[in-house]
Amino acid sequence: MDALVSKYAHSSASPLDSSEGFSQAGFDAAQQFALPMFDIPMVSNPIDFLRAHTDPSAENRIRIQHGTTTLAFKFQGGIVVAVDSRASGGSYIASQTVKKVIEINPYLLGTMAGGAADCQYWERELGRRCRLYELRNKERISVAAASKILSNMVYDYKGMGLSMGTMITGWDKTGPALYYVDSDGSRLKGERFSVGSGSTFAYGVLDTGYDFDMSVDDAIALGKRSIYHACHRDAYSGGSVNVFHVKESGWEFKGNFDFDKLHWDYQAQPKGQIV
Amino acid sequence: MTSRLPSQAKGGFNFDNHVRNAAMEGKGAALPKATKTGTTIVGLIYKDGVVLGADTRATAGPIVADKNCEKIHYLAPNMYCCGAGTAADTEMTTSLISSQLELHRLATGRQARIVTAMTLLKQMLFKYQGHIGAALILGGVDISGPQLYTIYPHGSTDKLPYVTMGSGSLNAMSVFESRWTPNMDRESAIELVKDAIEAGIFNDLGSGSNVDVVVLTKDKVDVLRNYARPNERGVKEASYVFRRGTTQVLKTSIRDMVDIKETVESIATSTAMEVDAV
Amino acid sequence: MMSTVPSELPVTAPIEHRFDPYVDNGGTLLSIAGKDFCVVAADTRLSEGYSIHTRYVPKSVKLSDKTVISMGGCYADCLTLTKRIQQNMEASLVAPMWYRHAHGKTMSTAAIAQMLSIMLYQKRFFPFYSWCILGGLDEEGRGAVYTYDPVGSYEREACRCAGSASSLIQPFLDNQINFKNQASERRELSLDQVLRITKDSFTSATERDIYTGDYLEIFVITSNGVELQKMGLKKD
Repeated sequence: MDALVSKYAHSSASPLDSSEGFSQAGFDAAQQFALPMFDIPMVSNPIDFLRAHTDPSAENRIRIQHGTTTLAFKFQGGIVVAVDSRASGGSYIASQTVKKVIEINPYLLGTMAGGAADCQYWERELGRRCRLYELRNKERISVAAASKILSNMVYDYKGMGLSMGTMITGWDKTGPALYYVDSDGSRLKGERFSVGSGSTFAYGVLDTGYDFDMSVDDAIALGKRSIYHACHRDAYSGGSVNVFHVKESGWEFKGNFDFDKLHWDYQAQPKGQIV
Repeated sequence: MTSRLPSQAKGGFNFDNHVRNAAMEGKGAALPKATKTGTTIVGLIYKDGVVLGADTRATAGPIVADKNCEKIHYLAPNMYCCGAGTAADTEMTTSLISSQLELHRLATGRQARIVTAMTLLKQMLFKYQGHIGAALILGGVDISGPQLYTIYPHGSTDKLPYVTMGSGSLNAMSVFESRWTPNMDRESAIELVKDAIEAGIFNDLGSGSNVDVVVLTKDKVDVLRNYARPNERGVKEASYVFRRGTTQVLKTSIRDMVDIKETVESIATSTAMEVDAV
Repeated sequence: MMSTVPSELPVTAPIEHRFDPYVDNGGTLLSIAGKDFCVVAADTRLSEGYSIHTRYVPKSVKLSDKTVISMGGCYADCLTLTKRIQQNMEASLVAPMWYRHAHGKTMSTAAIAQMLSIMLYQKRFFPFYSWCILGGLDEEGRGAVYTYDPVGSYEREACRCAGSASSLIQPFLDNQINFKNQASERRELSLDQVLRITKDSFTSATERDIYTGDYLEIFVITSNGVELQKMGLKKD
């Protein structure tokens, strides 16, 4: 019995020996949690394998959820983040109630566009690393550093099929900060971003109505309206609008607005002047 | 395009869209699915004639398109034909051959023979090289007695005393192989056909719902539509009546009915208005 | 060093044949959360192409007194995934230090939900072909339904249907459970009403989906534990 226990207590299995990180013999926190490990199919080209099975022509297609409109912009009162809530797998609406703003910690928000699982997983992993940073350094991580951690993490998997277009926002020592990070490895600092299949529609409204000196209420209304118009024209966006406001004291949830209700509310309002 | 040529022959198939559709398919566009009768159809010869049987499910991919369709088609007063494969192809092929047989009967003044129908069918199917997706079981009685044929989509035929076709053919054949005997009586022949179809209904996902049977003898044809109904739908547990006012009212506009009043006014005849003047 | 292999011997690379490890075994599953209960239901048909492999194989497994998992898709993947969840929740000879033995308690529904997400994402590059729905009670005793995509994106919802008849049943649930397109009609549904809607969903789906049928297993999760109901469906 002791022999059996000791055999498993000091397992020499290296990550390479096992393809199953979870049910592996022996529990070693350092190994289990330090770096995420992924199972790879034992074929000569795992990338082609995944592509073949997620392709629309595949016989048994694995439908990964996609499609989105998200936006975030800086203004005098901080940052407004607004997103839709639709997830689609192919032409099927998988959900109308997705939380596309990921609350990384009370001062950091991430948005979700592209593969839903990719965004959820990596932004959760980012949250864990930001917490470790806090514990090690006795101060909060900057948005610049946080976004760079995310960017570096996904860059390691470049070309392997990850799909993620996200905005990392928050408030740090430097004030409000907004970064765009995607799975290709881009990381951009900016004032105003919109990401996803409906982003072009959202930009149209956002750029028209944007003014840095606008009030908080106006900024929230603009974010809401931009997402509304994207949902109206983009088949892959819809459901409802979620709005967040990032301030010095951290982010604040500003509400969930049903698309259908917004539509009739806006219809009832007099049309604004564009020119 | 050929369709604009004045000398184009009437009838037959039109291939105008073939190249375009092939190109679209190549680009990944899914073409509309044809309704298939992923089917169990059977036929057997018994003492006095032929019994044909079929299930009644029509499918479009994994969806049941028709829960109670008819797969035993009329060809002539003395013969019927079960169809499996693309629903439209089996229907059009059998009705086309049915017309030809009727013209043949009128021209010759004799009842058409089963072998004649079989030859017409196989020649047509062979001509189209399998693109007409019709797999048929042809049965009937003529001057040379009861006859039973299977006709495959490419035009080959078999003449056998008991046959099955469609996606449930193996299930049905296992019943026939264990229980068919020569010179069966009417009751046991119908019962055997019913059991063979039910084997397909329950064990083949392409087949389902009810059993249709047609019994053909020398001087009588019995069409036993829904001979067995082993799959009645259960009673629903809840009521789904919507309350008045469930549908959201977005806009109300009430208009008065338009009143049309007819009055006759006499107009003085004038010479300028003469239309029928010579 | 001298090689013992003659240099003239032709060296050929191993031939790789098409690796296609997925098959769709059909079947439908759904879960509905109530105020203080949760219903998890699934049919029991396992099929491939036009054949039925078996008429009775459970798709749902009780994980604890508060949680039931239901899976559809590739049955082999579902079996493996279910087994691994149970392994991680409990203990086995191979992994003797997992949750219960490390923490001295059963995993909560929310904890299992998060764990399942990570387990699915761990196979991001070699996904499990499985639609998962996790049903149970949360820490406050309210009904909870967690739904997943094949690579671990998850969300808590009020109700969800997955599998071969999902596109037939989900719109019905949207209307009857979430009262979509029913103006001013929002009320709490009782367990009895939810069970009736569940049964009607499956009898109706059986009419039109060839991969749904045979038997229906309904797990009812309340504070009293998990109760299993079975009923017959059409077998054609």
